[in-house]
Amino acid sequence: MIRPLDPVTSKQRAAYGFAFFVLFVAVWAWATFGGYVSKTFLANPLTMLQEGVELLTRHGFLFDIGMTIWRAVGGFVLAAIIAVPLGVLMGAYKPIEAFLEPFVSFARYLPASAFIPLLILWAGIGELQKLLVIFIGSVFQIILMVTVTVGNTRRDLVEAAYTLGAGDRGIIGRVLLPSSAPEIAEILRLVLGWAWTYVIVAELIGSSSGIGHMITDSQALLNTGQIIFGIIVIGLIGLVSDFLFKAFNAWLFPWKLA
Amino acid sequence: MTTLKIEQVSRAFPARQGHAPTLALEPIDLVVGSNDFVTILGPSGCGKSTLLRIVAGLDRPTSGRVLLDGREVAGPGADRGMVFQSYTLFPWLTVRENIAFGPRERRISEAERGKIADGYIHRVGLSGFENHWPKQLSGGMQQRTAIARALANDPKILLLDEPFGALDNQTRVLMQEMLLGIWERDQKTVLFVTHDIEEAIFLGSRVIVMSARPGRIKVEIAVDLPHPRSYKIKTTPGFIMLKERLVEEIRAEALKVAVDA
Repeated sequence: MIRPLDPVTSKQRAAYGFAFFVLFVAVWAWATFGGYVSKTFLANPLTMLQEGVELLTRHGFLFDIGMTIWRAVGGFVLAAIIAVPLGVLMGAYKPIEAFLEPFVSFARYLPASAFIPLLILWAGIGELQKLLVIFIGSVFQIILMVTVTVGNTRRDLVEAAYTLGAGDRGIIGRVLLPSSAPEIAEILRLVLGWAWTYVIVAELIGSSSGIGHMITDSQALLNTGQIIFGIIVIGLIGLVSDFLFKAFNAWLFPWKLA
Repeated sequence: MTTLKIEQVSRAFPARQGHAPTLALEPIDLVVGSNDFVTILGPSGCGKSTLLRIVAGLDRPTSGRVLLDGREVAGPGADRGMVFQSYTLFPWLTVRENIAFGPRERRISEAERGKIADGYIHRVGLSGFENHWPKQLSGGMQQRTAIARALANDPKILLLDEPFGALDNQTRVLMQEMLLGIWERDQKTVLFVTHDIEEAIFLGSRVIVMSARPGRIKVEIAVDLPHPRSYKIKTTPGFIMLKERLVEEIRAEALKVAVDA
């Protein structure tokens, strides 16, 4: 019997999680091998794997994967370097928040993909343009979420620090920052997930390398096996980066788990 | 010689739409002398915590002023240590690092503040838990750490806002004895807010009873019980007589609040 909020063991959790992947592939295989879906629209799992091996061995797909990772991580790191300190300042100092928050809230809704034509005009079709798409897509989100997190620091901890003689620098450096750090790390993990989406969009237009570029090429050839392989590779990269980020956060903030 | 002077301190909370401003504290005068242990006793909502926060510098009086050794309190500072009712240890610091927070903020060398922290860890009975995170401690242990953290700055006055209010009865009694032991040994000036009558008598040299809505000092009662006090004093005739008297005083106030509400 399943009861509400009953826990599962970590072994069970892994088994259940894996089982859904199996089910997913099984349904896909049933639909394609069984002839219910035309080959033109959807390749079967085996064809997809064959195409994938061919991509990796004959078409230098590893280089494309490397380019995509570098663009996503590069744009994301640029955004984080600017957004985290700004978010901390906005969270700590209300006048700065009042000054910038309305604009950032507005800018957050500007679709990063709609900037691509402009960015091509300004920055060409080189790496800088790709980085900027991811940067624009990430920076405002990080600023806003960090601002909220820092602003929500427990007031009683801040008051305790004041009565212990802390000044403004002490409050920011020794209370606001450490208390928000785990949340900020979670925000970065979340936004890195979105960065994988932006990077593909950036590569679909005006690009000569990367997973997104491979997908556009395959579309011209109606090679759905390659397209699906590319999509799955992105999913896997996302999954691995997410796992690494989680493990890193747990290692960085042992007090949170103790 | 530490003297805390509270001069005509009042606090009104600004009016909300359609309501008159709320007067939380009527002008209050109180002098706390060196090494005095004053307990402030009152029902909830009598403004006793507000008064303590004003002394700590965390809240501003509407009128009047607070003087510590002749200098007006303008904001919070390390010369007034505070222990809160809620658990306010920094969760990302170990017990030892929490206690060393104040000394570190005052730029005391690492070796020196380590020595200070170890001394207080021993004194509040937390040896063996130096490197625990707050999450791993019971409520009583967290409040021991909080007291040690406030004392580590060697403040002129220690302010405690119902520090044992969230603890179970047995733990609370042990904590009272520990705090009193520290006071009897080290001689500190203490201002202690509580709604627990036994606690107010057991710890205090003087009990200030506050009345509710608006808060003001109703009566002041000296506690002439000998030191050192142990828990056994709570069953002596002298203690019980004081308790009877305070029960009457507080009951009248509690009734007022209950009827108002």
